[in-house]
Amino acid sequence: MSLARLKEYLQPASLDEALTLLQNGPEKTRLIGGGIDIVLHNKDVERLIDLSRLSLAYVNQEETGISVGATTTMTQLLEASPVQGYLGGIIPEVLHLVASPLLRNLGTIGGTLASAHPWSDIITLFLALAADVTLFDGEHHTVPLVELYRGKYRKILSGAIITGVFVPNHPSNTAAAFRKFSRTGFDIALLNCACLIQLANDRCSKARVVAGGTPWLASRLTSVEEALIGEPFESRSIVKAAIMAESTAAVHGDTRASADYRRELIRIGIERCLIQVMQRSSG
Amino acid sequence: MNIVLTINGIRRELTIDPGETLLHLLRRVGYKGVKKGCETGDCGACAVLLDDRAVNSCLVLAAKADGHEIVTIEGLAQWGKEDEIYPIGQAWDDELHPIQRAFLDAGAVQCGYCTPGMMISAADLLAHNPNPTEREIKEAIAGNLCRCTGYVKQIEAISKAAEIIRGLHE
Amino acid sequence: MSKGDFYVVGKSLPKVDGISLVTGKPRFVADIELPGMLYAKILTSPHPHARIVGIDTSKAEKLPGVASVLTHDNTPHTRYTTAGQGYPEPSPYDTMMFDSKVRFVGDRVAAVAAENEQVADEALRLIRVDYAPIPEIISPDDAIAAGAPVIHDERDARGIHDARHNIAASVDIATGDVGAGFSESDVVVETTCETQYAQHVPLEPHVCLSWLDEDGRLVIRTSTQVPFHVRRIVAHVLNLPVGKIRVIKPRIGGAFGTKQEIVLEDLAGLFTLRTGRPVLLELTRKEEFVSSRTRHPMRVRVKLGAKKNGTLHAIEMEALSNTGAYGTHGLTVLSNVGSKTLPLYNKADNVHFFGKAVYTNLPVAGAYRGYGAPQGYFPLETAMDELAERLGIDPLVLRRRNHIQTGETSPIFERLGEGREGVAQTIKSCALDRCIEAGAERIGWTDKRGKRHMEGKTAYGIGMSIHMQGSGIPYIDMGAATIKMNEDGSFNLLLGATDLGTGSDTILAQIAAEVLGVPLSKMIVYSSDTDRTPFDVGAYASSTTYVSGQAVEQAAKKIRGQIISVASAMLGEDMEGLILADEHVIGEGKSVSLAEVCRHALYESDQFQPAATASYFPRETAPPFMASFAEVAVDTETGAVGVVRYVAAVDCGTAINPRLAEGQVEGAVVNGIGYALTEEMLLSKHGRVQNPSLFDYKIPCALDIPPIDVILVESHEPTGPMGAKSIAEIGINAPIPTIANAVYDAVGIRLSKTPFTPERVLQAIRKAK
Repeated sequence: MSLARLKEYLQPASLDEALTLLQNGPEKTRLIGGGIDIVLHNKDVERLIDLSRLSLAYVNQEETGISVGATTTMTQLLEASPVQGYLGGIIPEVLHLVASPLLRNLGTIGGTLASAHPWSDIITLFLALAADVTLFDGEHHTVPLVELYRGKYRKILSGAIITGVFVPNHPSNTAAAFRKFSRTGFDIALLNCACLIQLANDRCSKARVVAGGTPWLASRLTSVEEALIGEPFESRSIVKAAIMAESTAAVHGDTRASADYRRELIRIGIERCLIQVMQRSSG
Repeated sequence: MNIVLTINGIRRELTIDPGETLLHLLRRVGYKGVKKGCETGDCGACAVLLDDRAVNSCLVLAAKADGHEIVTIEGLAQWGKEDEIYPIGQAWDDELHPIQRAFLDAGAVQCGYCTPGMMISAADLLAHNPNPTEREIKEAIAGNLCRCTGYVKQIEAISKAAEIIRGLHE
Repeated sequence: MSKGDFYVVGKSLPKVDGISLVTGKPRFVADIELPGMLYAKILTSPHPHARIVGIDTSKAEKLPGVASVLTHDNTPHTRYTTAGQGYPEPSPYDTMMFDSKVRFVGDRVAAVAAENEQVADEALRLIRVDYAPIPEIISPDDAIAAGAPVIHDERDARGIHDARHNIAASVDIATGDVGAGFSESDVVVETTCETQYAQHVPLEPHVCLSWLDEDGRLVIRTSTQVPFHVRRIVAHVLNLPVGKIRVIKPRIGGAFGTKQEIVLEDLAGLFTLRTGRPVLLELTRKEEFVSSRTRHPMRVRVKLGAKKNGTLHAIEMEALSNTGAYGTHGLTVLSNVGSKTLPLYNKADNVHFFGKAVYTNLPVAGAYRGYGAPQGYFPLETAMDELAERLGIDPLVLRRRNHIQTGETSPIFERLGEGREGVAQTIKSCALDRCIEAGAERIGWTDKRGKRHMEGKTAYGIGMSIHMQGSGIPYIDMGAATIKMNEDGSFNLLLGATDLGTGSDTILAQIAAEVLGVPLSKMIVYSSDTDRTPFDVGAYASSTTYVSGQAVEQAAKKIRGQIISVASAMLGEDMEGLILADEHVIGEGKSVSLAEVCRHALYESDQFQPAATASYFPRETAPPFMASFAEVAVDTETGAVGVVRYVAAVDCGTAINPRLAEGQVEGAVVNGIGYALTEEMLLSKHGRVQNPSLFDYKIPCALDIPPIDVILVESHEPTGPMGAKSIAEIGINAPIPTIANAVYDAVGIRLSKTPFTPERVLQAIRKAK
């Protein structure tokens, strides 16, 4: 199996050069990070622009958060020292659940965001963490991840290069948790969810609640977030929030799971995330 | 197009199709130990080391390997002896890599088709974590499917290989 | 002979082909390339059921690089079966290389051989096919409903039980009177279980390479379990003398039954004959899922009648098997649903087994490890658990009271064989009682059973089941081996038996080495080449250790006689007092090395080649037995079932190589856990496989396996080689009923449909509330 129509494999040395090649390329021009989805799903691609010489493989601790370059592999991120202590190690915890080491050694963070598989565990997590994505289209843009796939940024994304992602620091009274439901230990999520909760005086002061693989791309469950904010963070409100997730989240059935079952999973997943957040907050 | 890469320690200049996968290239130039099981990254039979990390060669474009180092099962025994891959930095006195020896001794090989990729994943693991837990071993080979062994003896073999490697250090 | 008396047998020696496999040597079919090799590809049907009105291949033929195009219009119209079984095959001759009708999505329509794969693919796209669709049948119930379309309406098919009603095969046998049996019973239970479309998933898909040798003979190097059947069937299909074909089996990347089918060899062979060139034909993983073979999905009903004391009195078993578009292995798999299960409970005098294998326009079922037994054991062992509960007896005790024992027989042995009457026999070795005891102790049965407990939302439970299988097929199988001696004291062991990765080359060499008193390193093993090795039916039906093993033992004994005769002359001693040990023939005070003996025979006096061939034809089978235990954790909210611990205690007779024997059971159990929990081919309303990839057909990975304890409970099988029995299949029978019974223990629900996906389990939990 190969990409029979690929004519050009280009390895630019600068972002500007990469962008020029992208914008002046034939219609079937794609950027390539690790290349997993290119090889699997872009059989008709004619020009590939490899980003690996742009020095975008880094994980940097900055004052306000962690900056991750687009060509950083999932393994590099998992092993990077800045993420180990971030929110109780939630980033490596989730990355351990993503695909297999063979795929994590190849797949990049930028590629993950560009491919935007609806079952992506990383996108679900990053949405909960309030990550920003950096894009380059001649100018550098910083875009909240939640905006990346809609509206004007969707359009920008098609002619731009994802250069990295930034996960902001959160106050010390914040905890996060993640749940993934899958068929085997090496599988995509039938459904995943992530919660980031900030507490003030045992009440929930900020909440980001996300579900992915519904089977659509992850999105925030704003009504659940609203139901949590301002309430005492305790079993009763957690159960209430989980039931709210079940009744309000948009889910759909496919060959992997029915809509009804995904609805169950969303309730169970949110409840289990929130309970874990509670344990992590008190611990 | 032409690329230059190192395969099992040997520098090779090769002419490739731009869209050719590394799996296809490696088998084409004679590394038949790299197995084709699915060509979709789901089985791990084609795993090779790309700059010391195990990857599915069916998902890597050969063009992307330009300038990089590849180790296939054919080169596993030599790899690590020379480059201080393992924290131990010490050679072993065996024609086989400790992982290969352990697979052989533990009865971890049945049909042998998943075995090269499985051992490549194990080599990556032990190069980065010479004292893995059972859970870490299982995770390291999660992308290498085996239908013959039920994984029991493979996990045992990797654990044993880790012991051998640590023992070399002492 | 006790274990301690063996020299080579009973030891966990590394495999004879192990070093080449761990170093990645090019030993598999596609690891060699031949000059001028063509690449072949198959065009398959997008329709589940249609007549081919016309095929236009002109554009494909004109495409540069295309060497040959095959369709119904230019290939033999011979009917055959793809089932690689003994001759005459019990499977119907309902298949043609390329038929004028397609019967499932994935059926052969045309094929192309070209200079490279891209050209072959392009050529397939240029073939124009006109189909006239026919209403399709996508369930076995619809297949036998009145007025159903007839799937095999061809006139020239042979051996179909009732083609007009889509019944490929039918079985009906009885002993005693079940009607009376049930009315005489104090307790009667009945259960019906359904199993899914599941696939073998060898890591190496089907692959075959053919060429013409220097004398113009057709050579087929293929990933097969049955090289001699391949030769016979390809000769039949292509109308060639058997002597014009050589089939070579190199190393095989797993098989599990799917390579007991002639899926590619006829095509590659014909391309080679047409073009004179080598041809490589390999299936992609997707094609493997869509067009190769599957396990027979079944619905099996079991009714048990028992006396108050727990003695079984009557058993009724009814099976409806879906054989898919072709009847390959349809009759024999159906037979084995009963024949491999019912003799286990021989205390019941009244037994009735009947069933049908029916055609549908769905993927083709074939041989798969277990071969009907897993489908039969699911309801049987579920019903036994229900019966135990009704009687208030520990399920383990109920089974002990009813299972067959050494020295006993079952009328089923005689009534039901492989698609025909069976063979009467008594059990010569059965350590099932010790298996039950050892397994129960290891898992902690007495402490844990019936004490379901919750940890948070997770319920824990424990379950068990017992099983038997066979060791080869009596009066049908035959294996042969040749041993030839060399002047350094080494031996060539030429085996018809087919090592699929099981390690049979190794254990057969251990048997020969044991007889000859030499270390394993002195055996040079070469297996499965129709030109170079003697005949063997192949590796299926758990036959290799038991059947081929005896051929090896006997060949070794024959050559030992020759060695002793030469040594007797050399030493000047009577033959009676001479023994072989440590690579020497040892007499009274004097000895001579095997190397010296062979040198003497080849060069010095009365020269001859010490060599022997022996065949073994089994007149009975020696069932292995197994007691299986599992502890499960059921997430009562999500329905997810996790296996926490698995214990398999297996009676394999003598374990020729204990580590390889354990490996057979471990592999089969994990394959069975996948079958029980996650594996399922999903089919659309029109019969299309919806998940033809390992991305969505989920087999267990390393993270999914629980701690698995395999306990080899040794016995001595007097009819087996060195006391051994075969255990390649038995392990796969167990996980479904064992896990189902454990789930019942945990949450009180009976699961009757596999796989036990979280969604299905949750529905069952909800329904019970």
